[in-house]
Amino acid sequence: MAVDMPLTSTAARGNHASGDSRPRRRRSGRIWVKLVLGLLLVVEIYPLLWMFLTSLKSNSDYLNNSTWSLPTTWEWGNYSEAWSTGHIGLYVRNSLLAVLPSLALILLLGTAAGFALQIMVWKGRSLTLLIFLAGIMVPSQMILLPLFTVYFQAGLSGTLWPLILTYTGTGLPLTVFMMATYYKTVPRELFEAATIDGAGILRAFWTISIPMVRNAILTVGLVQFFFIWNDLLIALTFTNNQDLRTIQVGLLNFTGDFGATQYGPLFAAICINVFGTLVIYLFLNQKVMKGLTGGAVKG
Amino acid sequence: MHRVLGDRRAIAILIGPALLVYSLIMLIPMVWSLGYSFTKGNTIDGFTGNGVANFTRLFDDPAVGDALWFTLKYAVVVTIGQVLAGYLLALLYVFFLKRASALVRTLAFFPVVLPTVAVGLLFQKLFQVAPQTGPVNSLLNAVGLESIDWFGTAGHAFWVLVIMDVWRSMGFYAVLLFAGLVDIPEEVLESARLDGASGLRLVRHIVMPLSFPVLMSSLIFSINGTLKVFDSIVALTNGGPGSGTTPLTLYMFQTSFTYSDYGYGSTIALLLTVVCLLVTLVVFRISRRDLTKG
Amino acid sequence: MNVDSSRAARARITGLTASAAAVVVFVSACGGTGGGSASPKNFSYLTNVENTTVKTALGTLSKGACAAENKTLPLKVDTVPQTSLDQKLQLLAGQNALPVQFAAGNAPALTDQLYKSGKIADLEKKLKDLGVYDQIEPSAVSTIKALYGGKLEVLPYEYNIEGIFYNKKIFSDNGLSVPATWDELVSAAAKLESKGIQPFSASGQQGWPITRLVSGYLYRSLGPDALKDVADGKAKLTDPAYVKAAQEVADLGKKGYFGKGVGSIDYDTSTNTFLSGKAAMFYMGSWVLTNIADPKQNKVGAESIGFMPFPAVSGGKGSIDQYPSNVGLAMTLGDRTFDSKVGNWVKCIGTNYGSVALKDQGSISGFKANTPVKDPNELTSQVRKTIGDSKQNVLWFEALFGTKATTVSQTNAASLLSGSMSAEDFMQTVQDALSSQ
Repeated sequence: MAVDMPLTSTAARGNHASGDSRPRRRRSGRIWVKLVLGLLLVVEIYPLLWMFLTSLKSNSDYLNNSTWSLPTTWEWGNYSEAWSTGHIGLYVRNSLLAVLPSLALILLLGTAAGFALQIMVWKGRSLTLLIFLAGIMVPSQMILLPLFTVYFQAGLSGTLWPLILTYTGTGLPLTVFMMATYYKTVPRELFEAATIDGAGILRAFWTISIPMVRNAILTVGLVQFFFIWNDLLIALTFTNNQDLRTIQVGLLNFTGDFGATQYGPLFAAICINVFGTLVIYLFLNQKVMKGLTGGAVKG
Repeated sequence: MHRVLGDRRAIAILIGPALLVYSLIMLIPMVWSLGYSFTKGNTIDGFTGNGVANFTRLFDDPAVGDALWFTLKYAVVVTIGQVLAGYLLALLYVFFLKRASALVRTLAFFPVVLPTVAVGLLFQKLFQVAPQTGPVNSLLNAVGLESIDWFGTAGHAFWVLVIMDVWRSMGFYAVLLFAGLVDIPEEVLESARLDGASGLRLVRHIVMPLSFPVLMSSLIFSINGTLKVFDSIVALTNGGPGSGTTPLTLYMFQTSFTYSDYGYGSTIALLLTVVCLLVTLVVFRISRRDLTKG
Repeated sequence: MNVDSSRAARARITGLTASAAAVVVFVSACGGTGGGSASPKNFSYLTNVENTTVKTALGTLSKGACAAENKTLPLKVDTVPQTSLDQKLQLLAGQNALPVQFAAGNAPALTDQLYKSGKIADLEKKLKDLGVYDQIEPSAVSTIKALYGGKLEVLPYEYNIEGIFYNKKIFSDNGLSVPATWDELVSAAAKLESKGIQPFSASGQQGWPITRLVSGYLYRSLGPDALKDVADGKAKLTDPAYVKAAQEVADLGKKGYFGKGVGSIDYDTSTNTFLSGKAAMFYMGSWVLTNIADPKQNKVGAESIGFMPFPAVSGGKGSIDQYPSNVGLAMTLGDRTFDSKVGNWVKCIGTNYGSVALKDQGSISGFKANTPVKDPNELTSQVRKTIGDSKQNVLWFEALFGTKATTVSQTNAASLLSGSMSAEDFMQTVQDALSSQ
């Protein structure tokens, strides 16, 4: 996977591309675009609307009336129900406590390893990269039993450590691989010129290379965040204490005996989760989009 | 020449922690689990060695064949779908929406953050046939077609899965690919236009080759995700009807934990790992060859 | 040069420490799964998220009748979703870390496996020692023994019988009487269908409400041992008499008696279809009485719902007064942790659980209700009387199947109804799964 273009600042380029220097499309093209756009908006917005409306329906409303009808009675109580049954406050806290440290670890360790694999010169680095690469292929279902045994014997079950460690371990291969790829765009000579000894190279890693791949780190961070935030399998396997549940596991609290489900509160919980994420997302939006468009994977 | 960059202590400090965590959490458990492939049993009854019996069983088990076929079919179709839809969206962002694309990009990106449980329920409702006719079937009825029981046969359920997963992640790939397109120098496009290239030809001969590397990495991302698909299938069809939409991951999970046959489950996992490895190697090969050619 | 080699050495040492740490973790993980008995610090109880009845009732007991027991050994409830219960049990059992009391798997087969490997206490002996064995209804004991190889491996926190609930109003409006035989049931369904009323409501997503019909036909036609014979290897599901049962049920599906898209109908939808008067009949267990008693869910009123046993098959060996029964999700106690404090808890549960569950939640258990409780409606009284009177129980389709055959049977049930799988294929597929275990 070669890289054909150097990574530089992105904002300017984005503006450049979206500038008006290109000739205007023909009128028919415009209509076509509007059509596609309209369809796209429906396809993206309708499900969100549906989720929100469903969160305000009673169970019989959900089951008896058509999918797109408005709620017959607006059950705002679903939200308080969701908050208490879903223990949303606690579960969001758990999710954050598990996700943020693992994310920080993944990015720190992954960037350092990527630097070592791409910039540093040593024997066996391609083999090491290959070993990391193998990790991308492993289905995570496979490591559950051994890990459970280890965490149990080490006395870690009953804490959030199993989640943090597992997320970090499973997130590393892809991160290391991607960071190594990004570092290909950074010329080695830069570091040779700037440093004279081992301590210097570590400093150069921190002060020179990190700012250069800042966007890449943001991109990888975003990708990993959504992988981990949406994880169900690992969280289900390693949390046997209700107080340690993450938000995704908590969503399963709304199913009852023999498969009965409280749909209203379930969707209320999902809405709290989703719109909560949306707020964070809009807050970070500028940075994230710049990160994605700027840093993005250049092969 | 490379004395500074060959500093061993610095290398150890940089790569040591990552390698350590990775080995402890993934490598050792992986090897450990592979050891179970040569055993029979589970944690309750204990494990006893049974040689290569699991491997011969792997070749005789029709369920493995079905699951493998489903996994490959799903991975190929969804990967193409995700990347293609993402690429088209990215073209739309860059060439048509331009400055106004931020809002659309955000909207299209949004399904990525939805919990799988919610997306599964949503698509069950969208495609339902009873007790109410869902929106998709209503559309079919409106154009004079019969309602389809989408989850009644594996063939139909497969397409609902495909649509769901493409919908979920096209926004993500669109943003990734958008980056590659934005980086194409304006001058290149301008001179191509002056040469009379436009529309599809411009895309085919100028845009595609220039965004090839980022297209390749999107493909690799996508295929590794789709080969290991688990959550979305559990949420939408749980492998049904029958075992019609059961991929290797789900079959492995059921075998290990529901059917209490951990040894055989590990063998299935090994098969999946090998498949992932092969596919990735093939993709790498293709990408390298094309790059040297171009 | 000197500096370099010392750096190299340090690097090597770092590497060594790393691999040594890995080895230590590995070794400690493999060894040290200590056995023997251990005095528990809590009355820990692992159950599925979905069932709230038992944990609520135990919570009530811990503050009321069993407060003293709770003081010496506090109740501590943990839950996992049903779908990951089997996995969790496997993982915990592997570490010898099963809780004091736990839900023992989705299929009786897993419970039996745990029992055989000595993880579950011999409850018959324990209860007799504690002097509370007589607190369990004899019918519940016989149900448990039929399911768990003649052993009392679980406690009857629930006791359910199954049959067909029907809408009395729809029946009388259409001049139908309660069908006593399968043929009458089929012709009643045909009449309802011709009037545009959906005869049956069933959840194909769950699968079991459909396979229950197959087993119903089996124990009515071949007698109560029909499925035990399969488990014992004396008969095969592919035998013509067994395939006939699947064929009869498939025919109902083919005629459209279950409505459209039965495979994607979930449990709630099927219940709601029946309780809103859109379907005439509903095969279900007695736990659904809770929904029937709830006016918010039940739009047709408790008084217009009736309960009938699965109809007889003419010329069959089964009798209409044999009901399939179960004790809900199996709840059991670990052997290793069963000490005298746990014994006190069990004693208190045996004496008080029956009345508390019935009074607070209208839930019928296999424990004797020592204080009389008034039933919420006539139907509940009828079902409770039926439970009290039932002499012989019969097995549901998957009762003696392993986990694999259970999954295969329940996930393919909808295909049997929709016709995408023939009766022969269905029985063959399930039989293959059975034989492979």
